[in-house]
Amino acid sequence: MNAALTTAGAEVTARGVTKRFGVRGQPVTVLDDVDLRIAPGEFVSVIGPSGCGKSTLLRIIAGLLDADEGSVAINGEAVPQAIRHKAMGLVPQTPALLPWRSVRDNVLLPTQVNTAANAGRNLLDVDELLTSFGLGKDLRKYPRQLSGGMQQRVAIARAFVFDPPVLLMDEPFSALDEITRDQQRLGLLDFWQSNRRSVMFITHSVPEAILLSDRVVLMAARPGRIAEITEIDLPRPRDESVFLSPQFREYEIRIREGLRRVMKNAQD
Amino acid sequence: MPRTEKASSMTMELEQTRRPSTENAAGKTVKSAVPQGSARARWRFGLWVPPLVTFVLLGSSWEYVAHSKPFVIPPLGDIAGSIANDPSAYWNNLVVTLKEVAVGGGAAIVLGYLLAVLMCEFKILERALMPVVMVIMVTPVIAIAPALVVAFGFGMLPKYIVTIIVAIFPILINSLAGLRAVDPGTLDVLRVVDASRWEIFWRLRFPGSMPYFFAGLRIAIPFAIIGAAVAEFVAAGEAAGLGAMVSIAASQANLEVTWAGISMFCVLGLLFVAALTLLRRRILWWDNHGRAPK
Repeated sequence: MNAALTTAGAEVTARGVTKRFGVRGQPVTVLDDVDLRIAPGEFVSVIGPSGCGKSTLLRIIAGLLDADEGSVAINGEAVPQAIRHKAMGLVPQTPALLPWRSVRDNVLLPTQVNTAANAGRNLLDVDELLTSFGLGKDLRKYPRQLSGGMQQRVAIARAFVFDPPVLLMDEPFSALDEITRDQQRLGLLDFWQSNRRSVMFITHSVPEAILLSDRVVLMAARPGRIAEITEIDLPRPRDESVFLSPQFREYEIRIREGLRRVMKNAQD
Repeated sequence: MPRTEKASSMTMELEQTRRPSTENAAGKTVKSAVPQGSARARWRFGLWVPPLVTFVLLGSSWEYVAHSKPFVIPPLGDIAGSIANDPSAYWNNLVVTLKEVAVGGGAAIVLGYLLAVLMCEFKILERALMPVVMVIMVTPVIAIAPALVVAFGFGMLPKYIVTIIVAIFPILINSLAGLRAVDPGTLDVLRVVDASRWEIFWRLRFPGSMPYFFAGLRIAIPFAIIGAAVAEFVAAGEAAGLGAMVSIAASQANLEVTWAGISMFCVLGLLFVAALTLLRRRILWWDNHGRAPK
């Protein structure tokens, strides 16, 4: 693989991000003064109960939603500028592939729009990229010929192909069955460990968050805010043996307790 | 727990053994294997025999009624005979109607899709134009047609206009729904890389709207034929086109000519729908018609 690939990602800073949605004149605070920093090349998972605003936070960072207050910067640049430079790659919840495009052409999609931002950047070799995702034999297939797990891998490759310094992943494995999901997690872990980028990864799964992340951000709901942040100090490169280590258990217990606290407070 | 690489290549092998026929399908019609041998023969039997039985039954009932009550419907042979006796008269009228359907329907398709694109891209246009569209759509075309003939005379123009009015709505409404029904996930993926409106239209909305557009075509083409027929009925004085032919012949109780004209309408409609089906299969090979993926 290309040497430039191993360079780290960009810094993501969200400061005082607040977002309210009006429901019949009754504004609901979805995000209340959220501060989040993702260091270059850091893998940060965001976990929390439904309605804690984790997807909203991701959409604000992605520039798909505007914050009511606060600011987001990607390497010191405002989001609209970052978008213009194609600084971020998005992996949505569903694969969202185009059925009329082959696997290869689906992955190429982001390189075919806003081509001005391709200048001077390191576009990855699609065939090589897909081969490293275990899809080397499926380049010319169409999405409906692939299983759900393979489709999601194509969606992840589509976010990596234009080599953005920041990757935003919104529960990319939530629609998969547990066995496939484990496989996909390990695949992503392998790939990311050799191509470190800044990642914001939203998930509902505690083990998934621990396995992948440098830090796990726990969010609470009503109003959506950051409750606690856990540093995951497990050695890298990691693989599935992490699941068996005693530290993993400790982290899992700690984060699950945090989740329980957050859920309980929400009910009171 | 298996290693990722190994596990994924295993999945691939499974995929391939399960779907051997799709392996080299890139760019071509993606179809599952046609059943072979006796299975194939049975399949064909099931395809052709039931409708054949229906048509034979309908045909013999028709002949029975035609022979016992000749003033109600003419025998099928007489209808065919009438066409065979004066093919050029039928041909000339068919060409007139065909021209109305092609020009009027063609204009409706182009205008309908363009209007849908404009309404999709500029919400203000939808707000401005949709009420007018609704008003025209709920007014029966058969009531508008005579007024148009008065306004534009007996030439081709009122016929084109009537045809456009009936055929444009299914195109417009379906295409607009299709342009809007794009996958929100793909839209987000494109927006995050600052794809322009044009790029989103060209890469996502335009191809994505095609299944809806074709569904609209399927309704619009028969509608265009209805439009042409209606326009000719109300302007029958001009005595051109299949509609005028049917209308005049019926008023003279000339059953053979009436039914020959009707059958030509029928053939015209079938030809258009068949052409459309072939075109759809060519263009929309990737759309599985709502059927389960193969």
